[in-house]
Amino acid sequence: MSVSLQPLLLLLAALLFVLASAFAIISSTHQSRSLYADLQDIEAERWYLEEEYSRLLLEQGTWASHHRIAQEAGASLGLEAPPHDRTRLVSP
Amino acid sequence: MSAGRSAQSYRWRAWVVLGLVVLMFLLLIGRVLSLQVLDMGRGAQFLQHQGDLRTVRTAELPAYRGLITDRRGEPLAISTPVISLWADPKELEIGAYLNELAGLLELTPGELEQRVERYAGRRFMYLRRHLVPAQAREVLALGVPGVRSQREYRRFYPAGEVAAQLVGMTNVDGRGVAGLELAYDEWLSGRPGQKRYLKDLRGDAVRDIGIVEEVQPGRNLQLAIDLRLQYLLHDELSRAVTVTGAEAGVIVTLDSQTGEILACVSHPDFNPNNRSAVTMSQTRNRALTDVFEPGSTMKPLTMVAALESGRYSPDTIIDTSPGRIRVGRKVLPDPRDYGEISLARVVQKSSQVGITKVSLDIGQEPVWDVFQRFGLGEPTATGFPGESSGLLPQRPRWRPIEQVTLAFGYGLTATPLQIARAYAVFANGGVLPDVTLLHRDAVAATGKRIIDTRTARQLREVLHGVTGEEGTARRARIAGYEVGGKTGTVHKVGAGGYLDDQYVALFAGIAPIDNPRVVTVVVLDRPKGDNYGGGAAAAPVFARVAGETLRLLGVAPQLDEQEDMLAASTSEEPVL
Repeated sequence: MSVSLQPLLLLLAALLFVLASAFAIISSTHQSRSLYADLQDIEAERWYLEEEYSRLLLEQGTWASHHRIAQEAGASLGLEAPPHDRTRLVSP
Repeated sequence: MSAGRSAQSYRWRAWVVLGLVVLMFLLLIGRVLSLQVLDMGRGAQFLQHQGDLRTVRTAELPAYRGLITDRRGEPLAISTPVISLWADPKELEIGAYLNELAGLLELTPGELEQRVERYAGRRFMYLRRHLVPAQAREVLALGVPGVRSQREYRRFYPAGEVAAQLVGMTNVDGRGVAGLELAYDEWLSGRPGQKRYLKDLRGDAVRDIGIVEEVQPGRNLQLAIDLRLQYLLHDELSRAVTVTGAEAGVIVTLDSQTGEILACVSHPDFNPNNRSAVTMSQTRNRALTDVFEPGSTMKPLTMVAALESGRYSPDTIIDTSPGRIRVGRKVLPDPRDYGEISLARVVQKSSQVGITKVSLDIGQEPVWDVFQRFGLGEPTATGFPGESSGLLPQRPRWRPIEQVTLAFGYGLTATPLQIARAYAVFANGGVLPDVTLLHRDAVAATGKRIIDTRTARQLREVLHGVTGEEGTARRARIAGYEVGGKTGTVHKVGAGGYLDDQYVALFAGIAPIDNPRVVTVVVLDRPKGDNYGGGAAAAPVFARVAGETLRLLGVAPQLDEQEDMLAASTSEEPVL
C-alpha cells in the first residue's frame, strides 16, 4: 500500500501547485489591471495638471508682461523712472 | 454457429468505426495543434497576427515639448495640452447633431456638411485641430457617433513678436520649423511613447494592454536673453524705425564678459501666435542672418593694426589737409579739412583721409590680419539656423583702392552679431568671446586672446572720445554713465554700385566704458530724411537702449557730487 501512496501524494501535490499557481495568475492579473487603471487615472490627472500649469504660465506671462507693467505703472499708478538728477546712490 | 460467425464477421466493422473515430479525433487534435501550437504555414502565429490586426491598436502618446525660457526663467515658448477632434466618416452620423456640432466647432452647418461630404468614403478626417480641452469636452459630451479625440500639444509664445525671430516656431504637428525651435528641436521634443490597446468593432478602445514605449518628455531650454531687455530693445527699435523711416533694423546686446547674447531684436517682426500673414522677411533674425558692410565701425580695428605695427601711438599726428586724398582714380573726401590731428582724433572724427594715410603706410596685410583675428568672415557658431558668417575677401593682389576701402570697412560684410563680438574684444580687454544664445551657468567665459590689454584700453579711450564733444557720436551719451562707441554710415549697394541716397546707419557701443558690461550694436537699414547717418539715426537709439540696460542690470550710475549726498543722507531717514 505504502508503495503506491507516494506517487499519489506527488500527483496531489502537483495538482495543488497547479491550482495555486492558477490562482496566483488570476490575482496578479487582477492586480496588474487595477494598477494599470490607477496609472491611467494618474496620467489623466497629470494631463489635467499640465493643462492647468501651462494655462497658469500663460496667464502669468500675460499679466506680468513688460508692456502691461509699464502701462500700469505709468498710467494707473503715475510712476516713472527717476531721472539722473533725482537719483541718489546708497552704497551698502 | 451462424450467430457466432456473424458476430465474428461483423466485429471488424466495429473496429473500422472505432478506427475512423480515433483517426478523426487524431486529425482534429492535429488540426488544433497546427492552429494553436505548432508554427506552420497558416498556423498559430498567422492566426494570432490576424487577430491582432483586427483588435490590437497602437496609439502614440505625445511627448511634452520642453519650455523655452529666458535667463531668468520667464517662459518664451510653452506647450499646452489641446485636443484634436477627428471622425471616421464611415461611422459619423451627424444627423440631429448638425447644428449643435457645427456651433461648437465654430463652423456654419453648411461648411460642416461640405467637409464631411468631401471626406466621405475615407476612414479619417480632422473635424478641428487644437481645441481648448474644455471646448473639446463639450463636443465629446454630445456623444456623436464616430467622433473621436486625440491629445496633442500646442505651442504658445507669451512674448509674442518681442522674441519671435529668435525663438522661432513649430508647425501644426509640433516640430520646430524656424529659429531655436528648429535648432534645438531634438532636445526640446523628447520622444513620444506608444501604448497598445484593444478595440472593438467600432474602433472604440476596450482595454489598454500596456505601454510599449515610455514617453520621454522634452527638456527645457534656457536662453541667454533677458526678456526685460528684449522688451526694451523691441520697443526702442520700433520707435527708431518709426522716427527714422528705416525699412529694417537690428539691435543686439552682448554681455561683453561672457559672450552671452542678452537681447536681440529685428524689425520687421511677426506674431508667432497668429501666423496667418507671416512673410519670410519678418521671420529673419537679422542680427544673425543678414550681412552688411560694416563701414566706419571697422576704423577702430584698423587703428589696432596701426598700433600693433609699432609705428603709431594714439597721439601720433597725421596731416589730413586739405581734407581729401586721391587713391588711384578715386578722391576720398572728409566733410571738412581737419588739419593736423592725432590718430585717436582720426578715429573719433572718422576721417577718411587719416585712415587712408594710415592704411597706405602700414600696408594691407596687418589690417586684414586684425580683421580676421576679430572674427570677421568667421561664423559666430551659435547654431542658429541660417546664421551667416559674413565675408572677409582674400585676394592675391590688392590694389591700393581695395586696400584702403577695406581699412574703412567697405568690401567686406559682417552680421550685426559679428560686429558686436568684435567690439566685445575692446570691452573685455582683448579676448574674442565665444558668443552663445544659451544661458551659461559658470561665469567663466571662453574665448581666445587676440590683442593685449593695453591696446584694448587705448581703444576704449578712443571710443570714449567718439562720444565726446569732438566726436561723431555725441548723441550716444547717457546721463550717469560714460560710454564709448563708433558710428558708421554705409552706402547701400544697388544695381550700379554704391547708391548715393540709400544708407545703412550703424552704431556699435560699449557701456559703461570704464568697466564694460555690455556691447550693443544698432543697425538701421535705409533711414529716410536728413538724419540718415550713424551719429544721427543709430547713436540716439544706442543711448536710450544702453541707459535702460545698465539700469536693469543694476550697474551703479556715476553721479556728480554723490559723495556729499551720500554722506548727508546716511544720517537722515533713508531716501526713497
